[in-house]
Amino acid sequence: MSELALVIEDDEDLANIFAEALRGVGFSLEIAPDGRLARERLKGADVPFIILLDMHLPHVSGEELLADIKQDERFSKTMVIITTADARLGEMYRDQVDFALIKPISFIQLRDLTARLKPGR
Amino acid sequence: MKSFFDGILSVPASDPDDSRRRRVLNILLLGTFAATLVGLAGILIAGALSQVSDADFRLLLSGILGTTFGILGIYYINRRYSGRWAAMLFLLLLTAVFSISDTPEQLSNGRALFIFTLPIAISSLILAPQSGFLFAFISSGIVAGLALSIDQPVNIFAIIGYFMLALVSWISANSLESALRELRTINTNLDSVVVERTEALAASLERERIEAGRNRAILNSIADGVIVFDRKWNAILANPAVKGMLEIPTELIVGKNFREIIEHPRLAPQSRGLLYAMVEHDTQPIGFRVEWGGKTLSVSAAQVYNTRNENIGIVIVFRDVTREAEVEKLKSTFVGIVSHELRTPLNAILGYAEMFKEAVYGPMNEKQVNMADRIMKNSHRLLGLISDLLDQAQMEAGKLTIQMAPLRPSELLDNLHSVLDKSASDKGLKLTSEIEDNVPDTLNGDARRLHQILTNLVNNAIKFTDQGSVRVRLFLSGGSQWGIEVTDTGRGIPASEIPYIFETFRQVEGTATRVHGGFGLGLSIVKQLVTLMNGEIKVNSTMDEGTTFIIILPMLPVDKLESNWRYP
Repeated sequence: MSELALVIEDDEDLANIFAEALRGVGFSLEIAPDGRLARERLKGADVPFIILLDMHLPHVSGEELLADIKQDERFSKTMVIITTADARLGEMYRDQVDFALIKPISFIQLRDLTARLKPGR
Repeated sequence: MKSFFDGILSVPASDPDDSRRRRVLNILLLGTFAATLVGLAGILIAGALSQVSDADFRLLLSGILGTTFGILGIYYINRRYSGRWAAMLFLLLLTAVFSISDTPEQLSNGRALFIFTLPIAISSLILAPQSGFLFAFISSGIVAGLALSIDQPVNIFAIIGYFMLALVSWISANSLESALRELRTINTNLDSVVVERTEALAASLERERIEAGRNRAILNSIADGVIVFDRKWNAILANPAVKGMLEIPTELIVGKNFREIIEHPRLAPQSRGLLYAMVEHDTQPIGFRVEWGGKTLSVSAAQVYNTRNENIGIVIVFRDVTREAEVEKLKSTFVGIVSHELRTPLNAILGYAEMFKEAVYGPMNEKQVNMADRIMKNSHRLLGLISDLLDQAQMEAGKLTIQMAPLRPSELLDNLHSVLDKSASDKGLKLTSEIEDNVPDTLNGDARRLHQILTNLVNNAIKFTDQGSVRVRLFLSGGSQWGIEVTDTGRGIPASEIPYIFETFRQVEGTATRVHGGFGLGLSIVKQLVTLMNGEIKVNSTMDEGTTFIIILPMLPVDKLESNWRYP
């Protein structure tokens, strides 16, 4: 069974592109299109291997979700990649996450990065 | 007593010489009057004691009374009518009295000869300098007449002596009068100088008063808050506008130290820190912003010098820029949102194009891959423009900050090559780079912004170079600076355009003839970034030979980074 990747991204197209990149590497995919749904999903039993977290989200912000993730022991081994268009925000959270990607995020860049992270490859 | 004599002696004359002569005449008249009174008393006593015969007594009494009344009459003339006539009458009276004052023998050849010298000497003082000669002549006539009347020889030596005395009197009276005239001229000049100076002083005081009034009126009516401090930062002057801005009555500000003033509870703590730093480091910032109450104030400070170029204090000007700050904030928020909203769909276009190119949904032919490439390239261009606009907006809002961290110069160049090698080779240009040996392996800087500066300059160089090369060089400059040099072999920048190339939205070509796209923001952003880094940028260009951009940046030791040092 392939590892789970959770893409939290409110823009449908970007979510789609990120999902394709991760799927191409061999992850199974789940997409949360806003902060509230993402928070619900994070409570679910399945712990993702990798979370792609947009910092600008409706209802619940990426910052709050990141705090949730950091507090939850279950995610201690989960790779967290944040995505943001704001370079300063990216710099601010760089130390708390595995990667901080500044938009625009290239399909190829994301695919190659996650391929390196995926175990057994 | 003095004023009594002054009253008796004074004469109503405006000519100073006339006045002086008549005053002297009055003194002589007073003296003679006193002498006649004594003489009268003597005669009366002698008469009472029967020491003289009745005939002599009558003769002496009528003589002395005649003289006394004559003197009073002359005094009257001198006071009321003419000094000249009075003097003449006095001298004639004197001469007449003298000529009967002794026996003809004594008067013409004996002890009384000298007595005629008196009218001669006095006349030059009270009548005119040369009038001594007249009385020398009269006296000579009397002496000669008396001598002849008693058949005695005329005393020629006495007559010569009279004329000699008249000559000496004339010379001395003349020099006395000319000395007095000179003195009067000097006095008159002095008076006019004093008057002139007094008038000038009054005029300048008036000017100063008007100017001070005008300055005060300006100070009172301008909207900017102005406080003047002495060299120890004690407030010595504040205008009414200060009250509205700092929420402290003007009269409470004067006399207070600046440090006390900025203890105000409505001043934001961070702003207080900035103002403290200004006092402690004695800097003169221009237009930095502080939050005071609900307002945003721009603060400018300047040293005040007097006319002798001595520093007498400092003036601080507060300007309410709340509205501007709000507009800037709105603008920056708007630009931020717009940029974000533009970037997101562009990111999607870019992503889908990449997916085409990577044949995610099945194989593509060469033309399709090429098209995907073109979509990507144009999307990148658009992204670059949006980034520039966003940077510009952030810089205008003062929000773009420089984040210092250790960086490797070699990585800076590697990144540059990875981004721009292809653009250079597509145009057939050679992009080379070198790091001079003495440049340390690790430097301090904002890697992201330095990358932005480098790609901007090199991108420009590639854009405006048709053949040859673009060369990047990192070097040390002095002991405390390092530099970046970007040299191309392009067409060059006209000298007339060089002063303007760092201006926002500026391109060397006019809009109608533009060959190269872009907003003309690139160099302006580079310049602003370099300025934010406390560095400077220079450009040398020769038409048809090429252009060199040189950036000099301060070098900060890497270990200092721990103290959270930031560019201001």
